[in-house]
Amino acid sequence: MSQAVALKINGVERQVLAGATQTLLEVLRDQLGLTGSKRGCNQGVCGACTVMVDGRPVRGCLSLAANCEGSEITTVEGLAPAGKLTPVQQALIDSGAVQCGFCTSGMVISAHWLLQRNEKPDSDEIRRTLSGNLCRCSGYRKIVEAVASAVEGGKA
Amino acid sequence: MKIEDSFDVAAPRERVWKLITDPDTVAGCVPGCDGIEVVSDTLYRARVSVKVGPIKASFNMEVELTGETPPEEVRSKSRGEEGSRASTVSSENLLRLEEIDAGNTRVFYHAEVSVVGRLGKFGLGVMKKKAESLGRDFAACFKEKAELAETSA
Amino acid sequence: MNDATEFLRPRSIDEAVAMLAAHEDARPLAGGATLVAMLNAGLIEPDAIVSLSGIEELRGIQAQENGGLRIGAMTRHAETAASALFRDGQQVVPHAAGQIANMPVRNMGTMGGSISFADPAIDYPPALTAAGAEIEIAGPGGTRRVPCGEFFLDWYTTALEPGELVAAIHVPPAPAGSVGHYEKLARVSGDYAIVSVALVLAMDGGLCSAAQIAVGACGPVPIRLAAAEEALVGSSLDAETLAWGGAMLAEASDPVDDVRGSADYRRRVIPRLLAKAVAAARAKMIEEAA
Repeated sequence: MSQAVALKINGVERQVLAGATQTLLEVLRDQLGLTGSKRGCNQGVCGACTVMVDGRPVRGCLSLAANCEGSEITTVEGLAPAGKLTPVQQALIDSGAVQCGFCTSGMVISAHWLLQRNEKPDSDEIRRTLSGNLCRCSGYRKIVEAVASAVEGGKA
Repeated sequence: MKIEDSFDVAAPRERVWKLITDPDTVAGCVPGCDGIEVVSDTLYRARVSVKVGPIKASFNMEVELTGETPPEEVRSKSRGEEGSRASTVSSENLLRLEEIDAGNTRVFYHAEVSVVGRLGKFGLGVMKKKAESLGRDFAACFKEKAELAETSA
Repeated sequence: MNDATEFLRPRSIDEAVAMLAAHEDARPLAGGATLVAMLNAGLIEPDAIVSLSGIEELRGIQAQENGGLRIGAMTRHAETAASALFRDGQQVVPHAAGQIANMPVRNMGTMGGSISFADPAIDYPPALTAAGAEIEIAGPGGTRRVPCGEFFLDWYTTALEPGELVAAIHVPPAPAGSVGHYEKLARVSGDYAIVSVALVLAMDGGLCSAAQIAVGACGPVPIRLAAAEEALVGSSLDAETLAWGGAMLAEASDPVDDVRGSADYRRRVIPRLLAKAVAAARAKMIEEAA
């Protein structure tokens, strides 16, 4: 049975109609056209669907939309309003850390959250935080380097 | 995955043979089986439900006898489809009866089972444990029936 | 997707229990990390999903007067991992919580949801078993408390009856001066355990004064053996004693063959992982004494 669900997505109040078993990821992509978050495994393993709900990264594919009633959701689209990139996004481009790009939005969300909480994470902490985001191009090294350079850039 | 085991029944081999080739006796001992339809001498249909934790599945099974050597060996093939869902289970089975002595029989069974579809995601490790436990339940039930038949005969 | 499924939002445990009872195949939704994965895979098709998110009584960790802890079923792994309320050997629980899956999943998954699914390879069952925890179950007949040994019954099977849900987990005070340690062997960070060892250990004058050990991922339920623990207590935890205790645990195990490792491999790993866990626990003791 579908029901109306009120969500605040990237700062904008939205009403969506969601079935009981419909995931937040499905609603974001199919109803709202926010296709930055990707559907990979749909089992919570790959991390391509990672979004922030009430300030914490979670799996979009494991969140039921109806259960997010009243929550504040931030997707990768919400990090760069008006096209102004975050330091992490800019660093990923500058470092050439994007290959096929499928994992990138999830990586951006996880790394962005890390830098919000800790201005100077070391390489181990970056790796630990990104361990829930898989890159099947296996471009991990460049991704970690990019996040580390965003840390340095932020300090400068 | 391969499932094999054996169990002993306190009944003569002829009697065990008669019971283990009787569709109703066998169906009555298969856990989760609610009745069997005899299509022909070598073809049976049955509906079998299994449950592992919260996951329930129900299969429309077809069992075909592919060879028998009374009172020693039966070979069969079975294939089951899960209603509207996309799981299929199929197996090749061998059942062998060995005479221990005049009043005791050893039953060996061997099955090569494959599971495809949504249940395939569940992990064969646990499915094998489940299949083994269903085999033991079957053995206990069959033993009881065969030995009861023996004492009341 | 099943269009007929209802989504329900109870505000209290009693209301949730009544909703579960009113449907033939209702499923409580805790953090969703397991339930939604199963929905997505088409493994379950409940007629109602009863969200526990709006139930205040299920939240938070509270210290009890006797030094025990009451952990609300909806407490998320990230919260448990970061909690400073766990003392001494109780720390085996947050230590395990911090090793579950990865950061976004730890932000979602809850202790109640995790143990209700009772996958044999998850991290809480051995940790809670080693800690001697009890599970508080709410149902139509009120609440009841059962020890882990009576809660985890079989592969994916718990003592929860239809209509019941986990309300809280009670972790008793650990032996004074004990330390808790969770040693997990996995293929990669965030995967399910191949084998895990949860440990609550105390030493007194060079001899082991308390040992609570549970092995995970090696059978339908966590393995806790009085004989193995008795073998360790009173010893200096020398290699020979640990090998003997580990052999007993391996003997009692019933592991599966799967993509993570063969049953035989798991049996061989148990004693070695026990030795590793004990060494790590002793290193923690030295660290804490310093």
